[in-house]
Amino acid sequence: MKTLRLLLFLPGLAAVAWGTVLFAEYAFPLRPDVFETLGWLAGGPVAHDLLVAPLIGAVGLALSRFLPERWKAPVKTGAVLTGVLTLLAFPLLWRPFGGARNPGLHDADTLTGLLLTLAVVWLGVLAAVFWPRKGSGCCRSL
Amino acid sequence: MSSAARSERVTSRIGLTLAVTFTLCFVTGLLSHLIQHPPSWFGWPSRPIGLYRFTQGTHVVSGIASIPLLLAKLWSVYPKLFERPVIRNLPHALERLSILVLSVAAFFELTTGLFNIAQNYPWTFYFPQLHYALAWVAIGSILVHIAVKLPIVRRALTTEPEPSRRAFLRTTWLAAGVAVVATAGDSVPLLRNVSGLSWRSDKGPQGLPVNRTAEAAGVLDTARDADWRLSVVTPGGTKTYSLDQLRALPRTSAELPIACVEGWSQSAHWSGVSLPDLLRHAGTAPGTPVRVFSLEKAGPYGISDLPGEHTSDDLTLLALELNGEILDADHGFPCRVIAPNRPGVLQTK
Repeated sequence: MKTLRLLLFLPGLAAVAWGTVLFAEYAFPLRPDVFETLGWLAGGPVAHDLLVAPLIGAVGLALSRFLPERWKAPVKTGAVLTGVLTLLAFPLLWRPFGGARNPGLHDADTLTGLLLTLAVVWLGVLAAVFWPRKGSGCCRSL
Repeated sequence: MSSAARSERVTSRIGLTLAVTFTLCFVTGLLSHLIQHPPSWFGWPSRPIGLYRFTQGTHVVSGIASIPLLLAKLWSVYPKLFERPVIRNLPHALERLSILVLSVAAFFELTTGLFNIAQNYPWTFYFPQLHYALAWVAIGSILVHIAVKLPIVRRALTTEPEPSRRAFLRTTWLAAGVAVVATAGDSVPLLRNVSGLSWRSDKGPQGLPVNRTAEAAGVLDTARDADWRLSVVTPGGTKTYSLDQLRALPRTSAELPIACVEGWSQSAHWSGVSLPDLLRHAGTAPGTPVRVFSLEKAGPYGISDLPGEHTSDDLTLLALELNGEILDADHGFPCRVIAPNRPGVLQTK
């Protein structure tokens, strides 16, 4: 066990060090745009911990409180899938920084694609709610 | 919701799955980096023709699967963020620091990767450079994290989960699966009409997407110039070819994929002069490395190097036709390189 942990730890540390060297090659000498990049690095955890996670918690809590028992698990699953799909579609829908126009790329109707996918998801949610369950259908929750 | 996600077993299961998707992502990404910037010890074969299509498709699919997995993983340990005291001792401080590094690198890789496949750049840095640097930080900090947590993982995986926790895991796997199905049509032909969030469409000229138009490259005039000539420079001298002379050379046709670094790929029917034929005609031997110069003089992709492995392969073409028609200007008229098992960005037009 100790050997295995060392065999993971040491190469891991070396990879982090190598990545840091590569980043330092980019970052030094310091320029204003490097600070912008540092913002992108810090932005992920900050946005997640202060925004995304509390939002997930709040939505989850609200759904738990107001939904009938039978609806809880399917609707929460539907909400999770809706969030993930919207997140994936976001760079395709919001593109003031999109590159040059390329025929055949990023010119599909993403909004319709997203809405159709979400429609399938919520049909699945309805199916899960009304599908006959074993027993009285209690106790399933996220 | 809060309690269902919070158990060592849930965290360990999702964590191990993330370790697999991140490792796949790292290995395939590193491979793509090496193909594009080959060190002297590295060689990449020209067959099987669709290998790069497979590895780069895996890169993007595993990255997309990692997005819901990472969110679920962090949700399962979110209360730990508020543990008090913030720092108990030096090892505890180092452990928290290593998790911060991991989370910084993982978010950066997934966010920049997702925006890159959409060719959407709300930042000023050069994407490949930092996506590559932070990939080492991400994979390294994952290894460190697993090393630190291994006793907990072992303990957790031997206990049975409660039903509510199984439901959280089910939702996590479902979210990862749905994310993959919604996007993978870009690389998996079977899912082409299923993936609603595909970033490629059928609107490209001659049925194939274009990653850089002739207009954007500023080569429309030179491409249509009647005096255009292809020069093949060998140690024995320079041989020039007009388009008609190229068309008169023996023809080779092949079904080859364009496999983009951004994950999408599509097969097409190409026809042109095979590189071995062209090199023999120009008075040199197939298997000689060839440097290809684009009509586009500026930019990072104006020059590509075809290794000997590819110039000796009969399926490496100087293509003149695509899907039975003369190449569209956006596909590289008058001629472009199309070689088996190469990133699209190196298929110089």
